[in-house]
Amino acid sequence: MVSKEVEKFLLKVQKPGRYVGGELNEVIKNKRDVEVRFAFCFPDTYEVGMSHLGMKILYSQFNSVPYIWCERVFAPWIDMEEEMVKRHIPLYALESGDPLSDFDFIGFTLQYELSFSNMLNMLKLGGVPIKTADRTDELKQIVVAGGPCACNPEPIAEFVDIFFIGEGEEVDLEVIELFRECKAQGKTKREFLRLCADIQGVYVPSLYDVDYNSDGTIKSFTPRDGAPAVIHKRVMTDMDSSYYPDNFVVPLVEIVHDRAVQEIFRGCIRGCRFCQAGFIYRPVREKSPDTINAQCHALCENTGYDEVSLSSLSSSDYSQIVPLLEKLTSWTSDEKVSISLPSLRVDGFTDEIMNKIKTVRKSGLTFAPEAGSQRMRDVINKNVQHDELMQTCATAFAGGWTTVKLYFMIGLPTETMDDVADIAHLGQAVVDTYYNTPNHAKGKSVRVTVSASSFVPKPFTPFQWEPQDDIPTLHEKQKHIIESIRSKKIQFNYHDADTSFLEAVFARGDRKLCRVMELACERGFHFDGWADCFSLQKWLALFEECGIDPAFYANRRRSFDEILPWDHIDYGVKKSFLISECQKAYENQTTPHCRLKCSNCGAAKYGRGVCFEKRQNLV
Amino acid sequence: MKNVRIWFKKDFECRYISHLDLNRTMLRALHKSKIPIWHTEGFNPHPFATFPLPLSLGFRGVNECMDVRLEDDDYSFEEISKKLNACLPRGIRVFNVTEAVMKAGKVAFASFTIHLSLDNKPSGLICQQLNDLLEQDSILIEKKSKKGMKTVDIKPGIKSYSVTEKFDSACLEIVLSAGSSDNVNPNLIISALEQKTGAEYNVDVTRNDLYNSDMEPFR
Ligand code: SF4
Repeated sequence: MVSKEVEKFLLKVQKPGRYVGGELNEVIKNKRDVEVRFAFCFPDTYEVGMSHLGMKILYSQFNSVPYIWCERVFAPWIDMEEEMVKRHIPLYALESGDPLSDFDFIGFTLQYELSFSNMLNMLKLGGVPIKTADRTDELKQIVVAGGPCACNPEPIAEFVDIFFIGEGEEVDLEVIELFRECKAQGKTKREFLRLCADIQGVYVPSLYDVDYNSDGTIKSFTPRDGAPAVIHKRVMTDMDSSYYPDNFVVPLVEIVHDRAVQEIFRGCIRGCRFCQAGFIYRPVREKSPDTINAQCHALCENTGYDEVSLSSLSSSDYSQIVPLLEKLTSWTSDEKVSISLPSLRVDGFTDEIMNKIKTVRKSGLTFAPEAGSQRMRDVINKNVQHDELMQTCATAFAGGWTTVKLYFMIGLPTETMDDVADIAHLGQAVVDTYYNTPNHAKGKSVRVTVSASSFVPKPFTPFQWEPQDDIPTLHEKQKHIIESIRSKKIQFNYHDADTSFLEAVFARGDRKLCRVMELACERGFHFDGWADCFSLQKWLALFEECGIDPAFYANRRRSFDEILPWDHIDYGVKKSFLISECQKAYENQTTPHCRLKCSNCGAAKYGRGVCFEKRQNLV
Repeated sequence: MKNVRIWFKKDFECRYISHLDLNRTMLRALHKSKIPIWHTEGFNPHPFATFPLPLSLGFRGVNECMDVRLEDDDYSFEEISKKLNACLPRGIRVFNVTEAVMKAGKVAFASFTIHLSLDNKPSGLICQQLNDLLEQDSILIEKKSKKGMKTVDIKPGIKSYSVTEKFDSACLEIVLSAGSSDNVNPNLIISALEQKTGAEYNVDVTRNDLYNSDMEPFR
């Protein structure tokens, strides 16, 4: 719902359809009939946020509970923010049009570190004090956060009352239920938060004290009031019975991923050593083909979408992909629905799958070898072989494809300039493969795009102790790739090293960074994930003002026995396993994936998933 | 196969979506409704629908239409309304389904109701400003074209108008040339007014009806 006040200027801003709600399947309740009002905030634009699967799941799930009304809030784009501030209009939720400050819960999903500034900015625009300590002790305006960036909550610990660690479906509702009880008993927010801390998967940062050594590293981390010393993540043990929406809000304006999305499994068996998702979502848990099929069908029926995308970290690792596609294709062609299967691995690109999904359009073929040399790929445990990649490309070229996109990372641990040059060489090998494929598209030339992003070491990965290359080194490596490219058929793109640096600072930061975030909010920082707004210079000035050296977080090698800012959080993977993986990386040794062999990472303690599959018919 | 014209209102939240977004929303609703309409062929078949006269973002439309081809000649029009409304967002409401009597290209005029107001300014003043503008022999505006900016006279595109003073706004009822050749968008009138007076108005535009070149209602 959009207020008269907002309507007055809505036509002055770009894409006003983002700020009005009113979509098909939006949930409207009467606020007098509900007991808990939850503002689900996505700290980015409507188009980005509405594409996010986690938000769709929780929105539907919360609203399926009669006493909760969950609404959506997105970051207004710069022009809208300016108009709102000028007219003193607080940030509002799309469903009711009520300001953020009216809500019991204000929840953020944190998908990338560079959205932290938007989170604080949204609180500010919504009239909510950004710091936990400055908010009311009444039971309202409880700021909660979850998502992958919650795995190191420390840089934003002073702003968030509750972090959800792990998967949200159950723990969110337990917290809301506790809130309801506490409210009935007239408890304060402080009392409520203390009780919350006993729920598995809840981290209440205000209940912990941190002491530092003189060198800036952490000396101790101490719980108060009997709060648990270690916070264990939550895991959904049975994917088939886990809540999944049969309905999505269907946006009026075009969003980034405008289609039905069906999750097919959680986690990833591969264990690429740079990849946080591959560790924090362990163990792999699949949905059955029947569940997926039924859920896909319901979603298409209820939304009118004619495309459904099967979502996971690595689609072709779904153990029953062919039976699943068979079930789906039994109705999709009649109902004129197409299936897309993103995140295919090089070795998953089989003819059998391709024949089932005709939707992989001839324009796009993307692979992520991540590193140019075989040695480097062994270091990061990316089990992609050179010949395999060439074979796949040859098959695709024979099938008429003429463009290939290859994704790489630079700045990986142990990387040499020769490894970097091999990125260009791999691109060249793909070009050569095209011309060596006798039946490639007639009279057409090949286009290979090589993209290189900069490695950002992340918590809970075997590389969490590694220094990030400094910016000049990353620039040098980018330059080296350009100089190593010999063919005009290869186009080279690279990600801005400045943003990767800031990401690295916040990904592995500690509570001292809260001061920087607070200042950033005061100074109006927002949309740091967007080139329109991001400026490393401005951030560096803030760090300097706070007396903080960002290189301490990004570019320092940490020792295995240092207390890391996130050590009190347990994602199921043992630290000793991460250390041994890191040491194996130094020796160019790979680790087999979970279906080939269990490497005893620790995640089997959840009693479910791939750890308990029979490993006989090995792939 | 039968050509069918679906009549609808576009208002509330849906007033803020572009023609492209409306098109997508309609196609999705048609797909969801399972009404037997003709689909395009080829790689990615989708329902086929055309709009005789697109509506600009921000305008309300009270008598808008969309053409589809019905595959089942006996399918009831009432059923189409009912099914489609169940699949559309609340800001788009189908209120009638008819046969397409006139060809889409016959649209030549459109009527609009435009409310203009300024914070803290009497509506009488705005009425005066409107009359001053519209009484001129020619109304020249800068228009973007393929070859850069060019000056055009929009006065010939104004078929008729009347200005009335309302409690909190000036109300302009106006009939303008519409269609592919001599289209005059009401936004041009508003920007001509803003250029002349230097004020920025609160504007509310509703498109009422479409007409053919003889000023007969488009059917
Ligand atoms: S315990 Fe074994 S099978 Fe389970 S996630 Fe860890 S390595 Fe994989």
